[in-house]
Amino acid sequence: MEARKHRFHASIAGSSLIEDTSVSTSVVTSPATPLSYKKHKHSLWQRIVRARYYYMLLLPCFILLAIFCYYPAILALWGSIFTLDYGRSGEYVGLQNFRELFNDPIFIKSVKNVVALTVFGTITAVTVPIFVAEWIFRLKSDRAQYIYRILMVWPAIVPGLVTLLLWQFIYDPYYGLLNAILKWVGLNEWSTKAWLADPDLALYALMGTAFPFVGGIGVLIYLAGLQSIPVDIYDAAKLDGASGFRQFLTIDLPLIKGQIRLNLVLSIIAGLQALTGPLVLTGGGPVNATMVPGLYMYQQAFTYGRLGYASAIGVVVFIAVLALTILNMTLFKDD
Amino acid sequence: MADTVLAAPLDERESAHAKTSSSRWKDFKDDWWKHLLLGIISFFLFFPFLVTLSISFKDLSQFATQPFWPTLPLTWSNYDEAGRIVIPFILNSIVICGITCLGVVLIGALTAWVFANYDFPGREILYYLILALLMIPSILTLIPTFVVVSRLHLLDTRWALILPWIAGGQVFAIFILRTFFAALPKDLFEAARLDGAGELAIFARIGLPLSKSILGVVAIFNILGTWNDFLWPLVTLTSKDIFPLVLGLYRFQDQYYSVWGPLMAGYVIGTIPLVILFMFTSKLFVQGLAAGGIKL
Repeated sequence: MEARKHRFHASIAGSSLIEDTSVSTSVVTSPATPLSYKKHKHSLWQRIVRARYYYMLLLPCFILLAIFCYYPAILALWGSIFTLDYGRSGEYVGLQNFRELFNDPIFIKSVKNVVALTVFGTITAVTVPIFVAEWIFRLKSDRAQYIYRILMVWPAIVPGLVTLLLWQFIYDPYYGLLNAILKWVGLNEWSTKAWLADPDLALYALMGTAFPFVGGIGVLIYLAGLQSIPVDIYDAAKLDGASGFRQFLTIDLPLIKGQIRLNLVLSIIAGLQALTGPLVLTGGGPVNATMVPGLYMYQQAFTYGRLGYASAIGVVVFIAVLALTILNMTLFKDD
Repeated sequence: MADTVLAAPLDERESAHAKTSSSRWKDFKDDWWKHLLLGIISFFLFFPFLVTLSISFKDLSQFATQPFWPTLPLTWSNYDEAGRIVIPFILNSIVICGITCLGVVLIGALTAWVFANYDFPGREILYYLILALLMIPSILTLIPTFVVVSRLHLLDTRWALILPWIAGGQVFAIFILRTFFAALPKDLFEAARLDGAGELAIFARIGLPLSKSILGVVAIFNILGTWNDFLWPLVTLTSKDIFPLVLGLYRFQDQYYSVWGPLMAGYVIGTIPLVILFMFTSKLFVQGLAAGGIKL
């Protein structure tokens, strides 16, 4: 009530554009802070016009975002309800793409594969780095800590593709490192396997490319989390006679829950979208043993030109990722 | 006091005195099993790459007789052959990633600055709109962005890479930079304004120089992301002369598979640029993550 009266006064006075006077004439009676007081004084449109300089500064960002982020996102959702075959104009087909998708045996197989890969990948990406971070954290020598920290970042420096190509070499049936080691150890029967070409082994071979499962960033994130735990807690624990392992269970784990959740979410998001691994190493084969939705989408779009169908795949994966992320964030709420 | 307590590794106070060689040895003895485990993991991390290095110096006959252990004499010609193909790709990557990084840092910083320091209608809405983009998995937008780029007739050009990368990269940059800028002392800006400086001048002459370290972290993250991006260049580029490094290596591998010597040499050359970058920026990189701990 008060506010509206003031607005009326101010616009009649015509001095609303001069901030000083508006504040000084009404600061006594208005209970609000100067900032929100301004909101009552000027109409929305006036405020927008006055802020036009700031909007202009934001333009470069938003133009780029509009063209390359927002529009494609909308296009993806929109395109999934059309049959956009390259070359033909799209016909509206409603949810038919999705119906076809859920009856598509290749797609179903790809979902099973990606779930297996993601589960395995997430478990290893979340748990193994915890141990490595713990070991580094509890080293007594600063120098050793520093050295290992740098070493563990190595996987993040090598381009992911180079790592994949190296694994392609390792898995090579005739010249590969893996088979050579197996032969050297005496497991001759295993040393002739075509790891990436065998339908039964290919998926596991793909999982193995993450060996030794110390993805560079994970260890660093956990380490940062561990180092932010106040030392006093450890002193108190030692006084109570808690051993190292007990400390780990009761102090470290609960206090790095935030980092664990971060790793969990990032791993799931990355795992479900996995595409380059199968693309480079197996092409989805043999016989779709390593097909994943991401690769299926890629093939449908670029090999077969079925843009609408491919968009539908993208939408399904998007919804799955979104749902899982939200689930994660609500289930593991910070206490 | 609080700083040293939080930043210290465990047991720092016990070893606060200067380390003598005997105390170093004691440290090592106590921790031997950790060193063993960490050593094993490090071995597995580096072993494939060491084998690559050793094979890169072999010619075909050396490989036939002794595939994995290093052999002499070192066949440097492999590097000649591979280098001729791979080094142009490296140059392409440097140019493309450099421009992208510059774009992300400049536009991202400007945008974050506006969000951090000024109030205007819809500020929070616009900000959350930007953050919402972080939720969209790249898989969803892969094909539509391709369609957009194709309609803009940018396919097979450097801009097909640079523009979408700037668009995507600035989201993360804005996210990180806004908090940082908001924490800068505002009195400096007030003083500058009284002296008659315009807002942009305040941004460029005061804000940016104060934020060098965080801008560096943003730059590095951006370079890492764009340098290693393989899928997007794969989808949008077809002429070899603009291939960035990673895509180039992929094609190179197609051509040279089972010509192991030069192939491995190519991989080694391909790893060098980032290793160099990392050597110069490792402090920034490791501490940028450690600052305050990044978590959800």
